[in-house]
Amino acid sequence: MKPPPFDYEAPTSVEEALALLGRHGEQAKVLAGGQSLMPMLSFRLVRPRIVVDVNDIPALAGIREVDGTLAIGAMTRQRAVEQSALVRRRCPLLADAMPQIGHFQIRNRGTIGGSLAHADPAAELPAVVAALGGRLVVRGPGGERQLAPEEFFVSYLTTTLEPGELLVEVRLPVAPPSTGTAFVEVSRRHGDFALVGVAASVTLDEAGACVGAAVALTGVGPTPVVAAEAAAVLVGGRPDARALEEAGRRAAAAVRPDSDLHASAEYRTHVAGVLTRRALARAVERAQGGGEAVTP
Amino acid sequence: MADVVAAPEALRVVGRAVPRHDARDKAVAATAYAADWALPGMLHAAVLRSPYPSARIVKLDTARAAAMPGVAVVLTARDVPRNTLATDVPGQTATVGPLRATLHVLAEDRVRHQGEPVALVAAETLELARAAVEAIDVAYERTPGVFTPEAALAPGAPQVHAAGNLLAQWRIARGDVAAALAGAAVVVEGEYTTQLVDAAYLEPESGVAWIDSDGVITIRVSTQVIEHFRDVAEVLRVPQNRVRVIGTYLGGGFGGKEDVTVEVYLGLLALKTGRPVKMVWTRQESLLARAKRHPYRMRYRTGATAAGEILGQQIELLGDAGAYAYLSALVLLYSTVTAAGPYRVPSVEVQARVAYTNNPPTSAMRGFGGMQTVFAYESQMDRVARALGMDAVEIRRINALRRGDRLPVGQVIETHVALPELCERVWAALEPPTPPRAPHVRVGLGLACNLQPYGRIVWLHDWSSAWVGFEMDGSLVVRCGVPDVGGGQASSLCQIAAEVLGVSLERVSVHIADSALTPLAGTTTASRQLYMSGNAVLKASRELREQLLRVAETMLGAEAATLAMTGDLVHAPDGRTLALPDLLRECARAGVPRGHLAVYNAPAGEPVDLATGSGKVFPDYTYGAHAAEVEVDTETGVVRVLRYAAAHDVGRAINPQSVEGQIQGGAVQGLGYGCMEEVLVEDGINLTTSFATYLIPTAADVPDVEPVIVESGEGLGPFNARGIGEPPIGPPAAAVANAIADATGARLTRLPITAERVARALGRLDGTN
Ligand SMILES: Cc1cc2nc3c(=O)[nH]c(=O)nc-3n(C[C@H](O)[C@H](O)[C@H](O)COP(=O)(O)OP(=O)(O)OC[C@H]3O[C@@H](n4cnc5c(N)ncnc54)[C@H](O)[C@@H]3O)c2cc1C
Repeated sequence: MKPPPFDYEAPTSVEEALALLGRHGEQAKVLAGGQSLMPMLSFRLVRPRIVVDVNDIPALAGIREVDGTLAIGAMTRQRAVEQSALVRRRCPLLADAMPQIGHFQIRNRGTIGGSLAHADPAAELPAVVAALGGRLVVRGPGGERQLAPEEFFVSYLTTTLEPGELLVEVRLPVAPPSTGTAFVEVSRRHGDFALVGVAASVTLDEAGACVGAAVALTGVGPTPVVAAEAAAVLVGGRPDARALEEAGRRAAAAVRPDSDLHASAEYRTHVAGVLTRRALARAVERAQGGGEAVTP
Repeated sequence: MADVVAAPEALRVVGRAVPRHDARDKAVAATAYAADWALPGMLHAAVLRSPYPSARIVKLDTARAAAMPGVAVVLTARDVPRNTLATDVPGQTATVGPLRATLHVLAEDRVRHQGEPVALVAAETLELARAAVEAIDVAYERTPGVFTPEAALAPGAPQVHAAGNLLAQWRIARGDVAAALAGAAVVVEGEYTTQLVDAAYLEPESGVAWIDSDGVITIRVSTQVIEHFRDVAEVLRVPQNRVRVIGTYLGGGFGGKEDVTVEVYLGLLALKTGRPVKMVWTRQESLLARAKRHPYRMRYRTGATAAGEILGQQIELLGDAGAYAYLSALVLLYSTVTAAGPYRVPSVEVQARVAYTNNPPTSAMRGFGGMQTVFAYESQMDRVARALGMDAVEIRRINALRRGDRLPVGQVIETHVALPELCERVWAALEPPTPPRAPHVRVGLGLACNLQPYGRIVWLHDWSSAWVGFEMDGSLVVRCGVPDVGGGQASSLCQIAAEVLGVSLERVSVHIADSALTPLAGTTTASRQLYMSGNAVLKASRELREQLLRVAETMLGAEAATLAMTGDLVHAPDGRTLALPDLLRECARAGVPRGHLAVYNAPAGEPVDLATGSGKVFPDYTYGAHAAEVEVDTETGVVRVLRYAAAHDVGRAINPQSVEGQIQGGAVQGLGYGCMEEVLVEDGINLTTSFATYLIPTAADVPDVEPVIVESGEGLGPFNARGIGEPPIGPPAAAVANAIADATGARLTRLPITAERVARALGRLDGTN
């Protein structure tokens, strides 16, 4: 199918974009990379009166390090993040997740902000932001808000973004030294959304004991699931095989996925456990300075 | 039977991997596919389809839609001169009675599957046509349906058609199976389930029709069968010579464009409006309503001696035909004949049935019933080998059919069977084994063989015709009604004519697929076009050559038999030459035709009673062996095919590049069938009507397929070629299942083999599914 008719504006500044969004409220849709919006328009799942294309706003794209956080503009292409040496060095979990988003053709257009604002329950980036406890920077008529992931993601394809608001940036804490990360997932095909994906981060002290761990899962519920109980197993000790097994069990116990055409809830729960164990194991290895481990 | 095989080095054009004339056009998007056509004043058409799998139409009012400005016409069943398409299916009499497969052009009082066409609209724009479809006032009263063949055949089931839900049944009984199984050292039992899948061609069903200046209803359409011009004429109640079908180069057919698709609708709309009309189905429409591959449930019992010789096989097949017969009876016949595989099995009993349901209809798809059975018989073969501790190649070698053996149906195998060589070649191609890359990963190897008929059932008395002729300048023209579905059908004909008549390939033009202007060649189905039309072109070329050399004989004063034609010249034994244009001028002067029409008739026969197992069903078969190396993640069940090799004996590869294309494409399509594709239907409602939900493999999901071409020099086609269109799709599912069993010991018996099913088979999940 083809999209229904709509008006089109391409503002060149954030202020201009906010003015347009303010004027049209619920009638407007922001166009970022278009990788999710265009199919939704073509299937007529959304019928905006006006599309506000924010691709011509240079201020919305870019990666900066400020005060121990990495600030990534909403319009930064996924591919740019994937290829950024700064991201690889300072926020390796994000770098791990990037190649698993669709295909590189998708990532050449798709943006960081678009993926987060779209809030697909099986997307990688929401899980990364949730695992790291990042902040989503939103601007609207009332000024700027900074939201924690649990304040931002509400449900399937639903966030607390109000009509008239724009996601302008995401901020992620820079990884402390001796941190290892991993993002592992199972999908039906190469480039498909994950059936289950796990983001994990582990920080060790000089003696090799775990001083910090985080796990978040995607594909197992309406929003990313932070499995704090799973991460907690590792903290305070040297992560061994028993601890990793237990973390996997706890992650599986923490999720309540649905069944759909592609997999049953039972399978997703099982895989959540396996992948949590593997993601943490790989993160530990990397924190210890180990090389590449296996992919699922 | 076969021609004497010329030594390959003596051939100039045949056997060479020449670039196809259509390849460049496709690569640079110069090919005018059916949907690329447009004519001045053209209307656009859309179809109203049933949302329900089983319902009565209680109201159908088109007045509001027809009154919309820009709408040219709205048609329902009442407007169709003859609303029923009918085909008699030969041979099907035993239990079911004479079978007449019928189909309504537009639904009358009932709809029997979701997506069944109910009304047609033609309007000035596509948007208007779609709006008018939505403006049709239609009301349904839902009626109980049946959604599995088991339910359909149960007593008291709702009847899809008045004659009952059993559509067709075939039976083979050869030898004493009970005794064979009782006397076997090992008996293996298995039940296998295959799924509903779609042809999923890139190019959806499409075409344009117009009434040409000669008054003939002309339909330019993406089809595998231009002979459907006769069906269009029947429906329109016009003489058959007033309808012309022009076939385009196809963006894929795979059997899905063997039955009528858009051509009847286009003919109707052009006739009613007098204007050109275009119809292109959307992807959703195509996935929703197009006939698909039959899901099967198959029960096998196989008995073998301690040495691994198969003694007997008891086989039960049950297929789901969906709501209309289409080609189901013949698909089931293919399954029945191939059910025991390419092996010598002294005692066989096959009970095969196919039933109507209110699911999407099923019909032809690449492999045509010879496909589902491969999954069963090759899984069984592997289980027997494992039970006896035998090697995969060895068990197939000792049981492989040989020339002179009989198939269970009684047909004598008349050509060489290269099965042992094919097995060894693919097995060797995967050496050395890949070591597992992690503790939770296992690697295994699987082998699967198949046989696939090429050429139509002999009692259909198949034929093809072609015309070959020179222009005055020595350029050559081939005319043949073959539709080119992308397999290089047209290009291979050019090679054959160029070979025989001594001209270079660039000097040949080919005109194909026009029911008014090219000699009819029959369907591009059943792996038959190279065999049938290749033979027709070969015959026409050879007879033309004789005709011309009789003239050259006088001109050169040397006997025709001693003359050679190459390089646009006729060569005498003493070294003198005659330029082709000079010879052609002399032909013109002497009244000798420079062109020639030939008809090739396939070996024909009468319907056999399969049960008594007494005769020939198909002209011949193509054999194959595929090997897969897979990696199984024993925790998540994720399977990756690491390496894949596929070997087929094609008799002679007319164009090795086209053969490799068929082998690789077929193997990948077969891997999709084996590992991911499934049309999910819930109570008759299709849940997978987009490529976001109906998953086919992409280039990133499959390994390189290593094609192995074996040329035994035995086959019924031109230069002893065999058909290769369908065969490569058969073995992949079984090869993967056997490799998984090799890696893990788990036996997957249901397609597609998803990660979840593997995890379940490995005992990682509690519930059953
Ligand atoms: C074949 C395919 C495979 C894919 N596979 C994956 C995958 O595996 N994992 C995955 O995560 N994604 C996948 N995607 C989606 C892809 O990552 C998209 O790029 C992403 O979901 C949306 O980003 P976008 O920039 O294209 O946004 P758009 O499509 O332009 O917008 C998406 C939605 O977000 C809104 N929006 C966008 N930017 C803003 C903003 N700055 N402020 C407020 N609202 C905004 C839009 O209005 C729209 O509603 C896939 C897509 C395709 C086509």
